[in-house]
Amino acid sequence: MTIHTYTLGERLKGVVKAWAAVLIVSWIGVPLVISILYAFSERTALYERTPIPLSYSLEQIRFLLFEAGALYAVKNSVIVALLTVALSFLLGLPAGYAFAKYVFPGRDALKLALIGMRMFPVMIIAVPLVALYIRIGLSDTLVGVALAHTAMALPFVVLITSSVFAGVPRDLEEAGMVFGLSPIGVFLRITIPLALPGLAAAAMFTFLLSWNEVFIAAVLTLTNRTLPAFILTSALAAPDFFKFAANFIIVAPALVFVFVARRYLVTMWGITVR
Amino acid sequence: MAGRLNRAITTTQAAVVIIIIILAIVAVAITTRGPGEETTTPEETPSPAVQTPEKTTPKTTPTTSPEETTPVKKEVTLIFASTQMVPVEEQAFVKNKLLPPFTQETGIKVEFIGISYEDLSTRLESEMKAGKVTIDVIGDLHGGLDYFASNGWLMDLSKFGSLPDRTFPKILEDYSNLYGIKAYVPWMTATYVFVVNKEAFNYLPEGLTMDDVISGSSKWTYQALLDWAKNLYEQTGKKALGFPAGPKGLFHRFLHGYLYPSFTGAQVKNFDSQAAIDMWNYLKELWNYVNPASTTYDAMADPLLRGDVLIAWDHTARIKDAITTKPEDFVVVPTPAGPKGRGYILVIAGLAIPKNAPHPEEAWKLIEYLTRPETQVMVLQNVGFFPSVNEASGKVATGPLKVMVDGVSKQLNTPDSLVALIPSLGAKGGEFSSIYRTAFEKIVLEGQNPAEVLPVLAADLNRIFEEVNAPLPPPDK
Amino acid sequence: MRLTPKHKAFLLIAPAFIYMGFFIAYPLSEAIYLSFFEEGALSLANIRYLVGSPLSKFTEAFRYTLTITAIVIPIETALALLIALFLYNSFKGRDLILYMVIIPLTISDVAAGLIWYSILTSNGFMNNLLISLGLIDQPIQVFGSEFKVRMLLAIVVTEVWRSMAIVFVILFAGLQLLSRDLIEAAEVFGASWMQKLTKIILPMLKPSLQSALIIRTLFAFQIFGVVWILAGRNIPVLAGEAYYELTELRHEGVAALYALIIAAISLSFGFIYIRTLRARHLEVTL
Repeated sequence: MTIHTYTLGERLKGVVKAWAAVLIVSWIGVPLVISILYAFSERTALYERTPIPLSYSLEQIRFLLFEAGALYAVKNSVIVALLTVALSFLLGLPAGYAFAKYVFPGRDALKLALIGMRMFPVMIIAVPLVALYIRIGLSDTLVGVALAHTAMALPFVVLITSSVFAGVPRDLEEAGMVFGLSPIGVFLRITIPLALPGLAAAAMFTFLLSWNEVFIAAVLTLTNRTLPAFILTSALAAPDFFKFAANFIIVAPALVFVFVARRYLVTMWGITVR
Repeated sequence: MAGRLNRAITTTQAAVVIIIIILAIVAVAITTRGPGEETTTPEETPSPAVQTPEKTTPKTTPTTSPEETTPVKKEVTLIFASTQMVPVEEQAFVKNKLLPPFTQETGIKVEFIGISYEDLSTRLESEMKAGKVTIDVIGDLHGGLDYFASNGWLMDLSKFGSLPDRTFPKILEDYSNLYGIKAYVPWMTATYVFVVNKEAFNYLPEGLTMDDVISGSSKWTYQALLDWAKNLYEQTGKKALGFPAGPKGLFHRFLHGYLYPSFTGAQVKNFDSQAAIDMWNYLKELWNYVNPASTTYDAMADPLLRGDVLIAWDHTARIKDAITTKPEDFVVVPTPAGPKGRGYILVIAGLAIPKNAPHPEEAWKLIEYLTRPETQVMVLQNVGFFPSVNEASGKVATGPLKVMVDGVSKQLNTPDSLVALIPSLGAKGGEFSSIYRTAFEKIVLEGQNPAEVLPVLAADLNRIFEEVNAPLPPPDK
Repeated sequence: MRLTPKHKAFLLIAPAFIYMGFFIAYPLSEAIYLSFFEEGALSLANIRYLVGSPLSKFTEAFRYTLTITAIVIPIETALALLIALFLYNSFKGRDLILYMVIIPLTISDVAAGLIWYSILTSNGFMNNLLISLGLIDQPIQVFGSEFKVRMLLAIVVTEVWRSMAIVFVILFAGLQLLSRDLIEAAEVFGASWMQKLTKIILPMLKPSLQSALIIRTLFAFQIFGVVWILAGRNIPVLAGEAYYELTELRHEGVAALYALIIAAISLSFGFIYIRTLRARHLEVTL
């Protein structure tokens, strides 16, 4: 294809680069792919000594979902995650907007406080809540888990939405004003539409945060387990095939998310880990 | 600057936002009561564990609300609350296979509620106090039923007369008569057994025959087990003995229900005694020939199938998979005997009817159905719980289950049996198990001196029984 | 009446901060109460249990948590830096590699534990591969209390696999902010690769490196899911012990004490982080 001839040095560099790329991709990809293959293996094939299973079936996934009760845990996880997204956006979106568009005394200090809150470990949120939840009838409820997850996700939501709103060009908003839009009109017809993709990605991120959380969920629920809590408490004494299948079910939404929101990934995590 | 935009949100908007938030909080406060109740619909109650034959010990109080689970229909729907068959796999069996024939036959619907012992106990207590009983049938272990009976919460079942066409082993009959009433009907039994891969018989030590092991003769002792494991190791280089000593494994049951009774004659009483020290020293030596991955095994079916181990001890439910997958390879054998006898745990599950239960006649029909030999064989086939009636054993077809039934019945019939029951300690059950496991870790894995470790732990052990005010479990008293 | 912008801003942020305030203040005070009081009176029983009881694995847990942190963080930082540098210049397929590297960010700790379990268990990928290649005939056991080192290694590999992405994202974002002019200038003056790295890139990347290190250390002390799935209590860690004491042994006070200890460690690292962050341009980073 290319007629350009490379020098030896350039070729060597290319080869090294290609190998490095292969190495990086397989370091992340191979365990992921293999574990998914195992999830779809025929049960007996797992005891054969072949690197990857030779016969496949949906039996393990089906069993886990429909007979072992994982479907119920999935449903719980989805409910908790949606509640968490709703609640944390309800509380966090206005704050994010305020941080992005207003200058007020103590703004930096409050932002730092948010970052500080983000470092607050989930263990200390969860353990004392057990007793409180029993007292007020929230123990083993999905709302109870969602409330605690909201506390965990809220600082993220404020920080991410604030950066999303800050990314909406002021020029456009001011132009809207010039063309006679009311402040609400500007907000609804310019700011929100422009911020929407970023907000959607933030919502997905929040969803995933809750979907993946295990400590709070495992401590605060008993029968209404979320998926990670269900797996954590039942996987240990379960046969291998159960663990393999469980792995896929818990990873699948994350992979969908990576695919859908890949454009935002670096920036989003860039924000949240700061 | 942001001057113009500062006006982007007006007072009214700010007020609207705040009102929305308040409404949301109110909505949450209201819905808070919702999910707890919705989720008690038993079809949806998932089990916390797969293949955990023991009752789970939860930490929170139940949010169950029985009113909602009773549909407003004319036909009778029995509430069957059980601490057994709670694992997901087993619940699926109960709902899809076990109960439908009963409903077809009698027209009585049954709602099966898989529940933890603590939840059941709390619920029963509050129902008794409120005087409004919703549970029709209780399925629970002997220990729990004993507690319920001691509180006077159970109906005397002797008024229903005896059940036709079935006989219960004497030991089960004896246990089920509590506090002067027939407290429960024995439902299922379970135990923990040794499974041997037939390949291991090629390496039997001198003086021990395959027949000794399979029949549980007096030569089948813990010393013989040690010799066998040693022989296996010397001839194959393989540490072929395995125990479920993983984080969720049931190895503590082996310690307090098998080794302790066999070596000291009691589970708890002689925890810190010379006989106990001898026992620990024995286990230390045995451990040289135990597969080191044992401390990761939670259930022995996988290690047996993989061939990691050739001899394993575990709960019958947790080795069932191995035997059904490769029935030709394995044989279930009685536990070995120690100096004080052949100690083993017998788990007895029974069916009881609470006092003032709404539908006692229908409940008794369900009990009758569940203890029919055919039903019991079905339970054995599907979940691996063993029958409580003698007639059932004869109805098991040859095959993997026969392997298990034979092994279990041989264990039950050994003359030097020393039956151990798991103490019912409620919330302290975890700590009880943890004490035996800690002793194991310190003495066997870390090599500490048993004479130093045991006294400290014995104090903790006695404290538990004092705190719970529980009697020592058989065979201690 | 119209509110001033200042008041509007406060009204907008108030709900979030009130919510957070409650979910920090309440658990914190309750945890202190649970840890140090028994039936209303000051009691050191939980501390005595923590350090003295044979059932408690506190010292071990503390040691293991520290060990895992000390091994994982340098490895993943070095790896993340290498990959970030590798991906600094755009090339064909770079985005694909970028997405690959970031995938573990979206994967929960429980799932990461399960993924590596399926690789490392005795009938997992690694053993199956080695056996079918004829390199070994008995599977290599990784899990089991006799193999504490191997188990630790498995945890380290899983943690590096899972959390390297966080470090990577911070460093990669930091690299993007570096002035390309400076690097190009260095190239014009014939600086070697090594010189560019040590004289220009690393010094300029220092703030990002600092953030990455502090944040990862802070979260390393909260490690739970990976360890619980792979090793249970064979490798005790602080959060795992909190979970075990709470759910298995029902020692609420002891669990609260563990939570407090984790919080104290995390918050002191958080404090250091905010101190170093304050010195920087907040606007750029947020």
